[in-house]
Amino acid sequence: MKELGGTNGLTRRDFLRNGLVFGVGAQALASGYAAVPDVFARAVLSAKSAQVQNDKVLVMIQLGGGNDGLQTVIPIGSSQYHDFRPQLSAAAAKAQPINKDVALHENLKGIKKLYDDGKVAIVQGVGYPTPSFSHFDSIRVWETADPTRRQQDGWLGAAIVKNYDSLGHPLVGCACGTTNVPGMLRDLQATLTVIDDVKTFGFQGGQNVENVMGTLYKSTPGIYGALFDTAMTTVRDTVAQLRTSSAQYTPKGGYSDKVNLVYSSKNQLAAALQLAAELIVTGTGVKVLHVTLGGFDTHYTELNRHDALMNYLDSAISAFHDDLTAYGMADRVMIATWSEFGRRPKENASGGTDHGTASPVFLIGDGVKGGLYGETPNLAKLDQGGNLSYSVDFRAVYQEILTSHLAVDAKEILGQSFDRVPFVKTPA
Amino acid sequence: MLGLHHLGDLPTVALPGQTQSPAPNGVDWISPLDRPEAQVAHLLRRATFGAGPTEYAQSVKDGFKKTVDRLIETPIAEPPALPGADDATQEKPIRPQDLIAWWLDWMLRSPTPFGERMTFFWHGHFTSDFRKVNLQTPFIYWQNLTWRRMALGNLYGMLYQVTIDPGMLRYLDLGTSTGRAPNENYSRELMELFTMGVGTFTEDDVRSGAKALAGWREPVTQAMYDAVVKRAQDQGRPIPRNLKVDDTKTGVFEQQRAYVGGVKFLGLTKQWDVRGVLEQILAQDSVAPFIVTKVLREFVADQPSDAYVKRLADGFRRSRYDVKTLMRDVFMSPEFLAPASYRALIKSPTELMVHMARALETPALAKAIGVAGQGMGQLLFDPPEVGGWPSNASWISSNNVLERVNFAQATLTGMAKIPPFKDAHVTHLDGVVSPATAQLLNSSPDDATRWLILLASPEFQLK
Repeated sequence: MKELGGTNGLTRRDFLRNGLVFGVGAQALASGYAAVPDVFARAVLSAKSAQVQNDKVLVMIQLGGGNDGLQTVIPIGSSQYHDFRPQLSAAAAKAQPINKDVALHENLKGIKKLYDDGKVAIVQGVGYPTPSFSHFDSIRVWETADPTRRQQDGWLGAAIVKNYDSLGHPLVGCACGTTNVPGMLRDLQATLTVIDDVKTFGFQGGQNVENVMGTLYKSTPGIYGALFDTAMTTVRDTVAQLRTSSAQYTPKGGYSDKVNLVYSSKNQLAAALQLAAELIVTGTGVKVLHVTLGGFDTHYTELNRHDALMNYLDSAISAFHDDLTAYGMADRVMIATWSEFGRRPKENASGGTDHGTASPVFLIGDGVKGGLYGETPNLAKLDQGGNLSYSVDFRAVYQEILTSHLAVDAKEILGQSFDRVPFVKTPA
Repeated sequence: MLGLHHLGDLPTVALPGQTQSPAPNGVDWISPLDRPEAQVAHLLRRATFGAGPTEYAQSVKDGFKKTVDRLIETPIAEPPALPGADDATQEKPIRPQDLIAWWLDWMLRSPTPFGERMTFFWHGHFTSDFRKVNLQTPFIYWQNLTWRRMALGNLYGMLYQVTIDPGMLRYLDLGTSTGRAPNENYSRELMELFTMGVGTFTEDDVRSGAKALAGWREPVTQAMYDAVVKRAQDQGRPIPRNLKVDDTKTGVFEQQRAYVGGVKFLGLTKQWDVRGVLEQILAQDSVAPFIVTKVLREFVADQPSDAYVKRLADGFRRSRYDVKTLMRDVFMSPEFLAPASYRALIKSPTELMVHMARALETPALAKAIGVAGQGMGQLLFDPPEVGGWPSNASWISSNNVLERVNFAQATLTGMAKIPPFKDAHVTHLDGVVSPATAQLLNSSPDDATRWLILLASPEFQLK
């Protein structure tokens, strides 16, 4: 036998998790899954304490690669903006003004309409101290909510573990339109669902193969044993869930992934959000969803590429919001965008921008108190490296999401308290 | 059924009551790595994409040491050319599915599968993707050929080729970077992801490096030139005046686009060129441990100890960064065959599916594997980010476990004739299976079902 904690890095938590998989979790799976309860009843059932029984849902949209905040919420009132960006500032004339200082990108038409309806909060200048310019490092900081890089688990993974019974209800946390667990949801003790393409999510060979796999993935030995077994249990649970929910759901928003992005990962943001809507409106008990749109690492010919990304993002979010509105659920769901960093104010020789620092975060939903938060970036006062200073710590945004939207203890997850950014209309 | 019953009878795994220090599910695999044939199978799973019955038998006969020699010393066989790829243009781009199937086909058929495994390793290390680079040039195709040629050479030589590789010039923007307005993308990733690791350099080094490396542009092929001329004629426009055909498959250096003057880079101030930059990087103590850690995480164990990393890194540096020396040290190290390394790694989707095809002796699966890879998170030539592919536990999600099982089922269903199972559980799983797997294999009515159990089993996902 190998020793625990040897070179394979086994931790006590692996073992703890095992106890749960074959204890409480197994019983819950055996007994609790025959019928699908009413909308959100499962979430209520799965909540660990009475304090976390609200019906709110969070959808995180990752803008992978580092979204250029200065081309998204454009500082039209700044003369430096034009000086720094001779090519990219062409976007300013066409942008949709919010006030005399800033304007939304011209292609964010649906989001501008929601903004005018008071359903969009834009937190400007979001960042963290001593920022990293590495994609991976900064992604990890945002994922773990820990600028000191000590934390391994994702902040939403931790929120799930501390507040919900994900082992009994693996759809509490779900990533849509991707194949792997996103870092924000990752936690050794959390069970998570990942669905790449809902249309093909099922066992080839049908029930017979599914039954065999249920037997095959049982008490698997080794350091990855519980990981495999839990994944298979989650697959079977999700397949059963989707069988029910797909019959109950017809999309009521104009989802389309038929876009011509100049360069991006797979175009399936709209499909991913449609699946998110299906899981939400059919009462699967989903609480936290994660979807990703890549292609924001615009080091070259940024103008047309960023235009296309804005257009696609706007259409997908609009369709999702329309869908939720039609189902009467737009007040329960909050969309939050995030990106590892913004970009350098000065454009480079390739008509693009290099890695930067602070950038805006969008929060969208009928429960959001719309408006601008944080300070408009000051292009006249850049740091030594020619980058923006941040005005709002990204963890303050997380704190408001956790406390006021999901109604869970934020300090337990973030380890400290931050000044409130009050973008939730009626705090829980 | 004869020959399989013993599976259930043999105590191939420790039962819960027998274990003193419990692993996640209470039990761990009992390592068979004291047996010569298991050592060889372990090597072939990691240094190649797993072996079919013929290569397995030959390697068992040769033994571990001789097999290591053969893998490392046999010159890497080049794949046949991908038709049309050298002449790719805007009008006649390479189709991604053709490029992917072309490489997978060579992974399945190459007489030197270790060379393909190493090319695959570097493909995930020195990343590029066909979305950004696009397939209207031969660049991504050439990159694959270059990585293979450099795969077992010297890191310095490889880094030079990587830096001036046309696909890389486009993927990380060095091809549009100039001394006057340097683009930092390549400079940063060269240090952070390719050689030294995060936190080992400053932002000033990134900026200086960008200046020091600037001056390269992509080459123009005859076909690209002809296509531009034809487009211009068709549209009644003049032919671009500076356009000319380059007689090279690498980037082209143009002194007038470079940075002139001294800059301070990694502590040294001088007038730089690419070679100087690479020499300065390779003089840093961080490089050997960084590369060695990455290699060990892919070939030995997920979290190699500091002492192990240091030992191999010292040898790697002493060898002046000779990759062959490093890989021999890896496979011959006691850690490679230690019980803790047994089934300590998870196969990537490509390794998994190529092993399946080899096990089933059906080499005509390249296209199917290419398509299925996307659903498991690994579309070749399209890594999710510049940092390359996920690894080990990150490969396992509910989505990916389902896709892996489905690929096994679909492959078996699509085969006209399934090879006899015989003792496939020994060839591919060393006879070490869980009670659940043993019970299902023992109770399977036919070979098709046995193959499904084996290929879909957790055991087969591991390497």
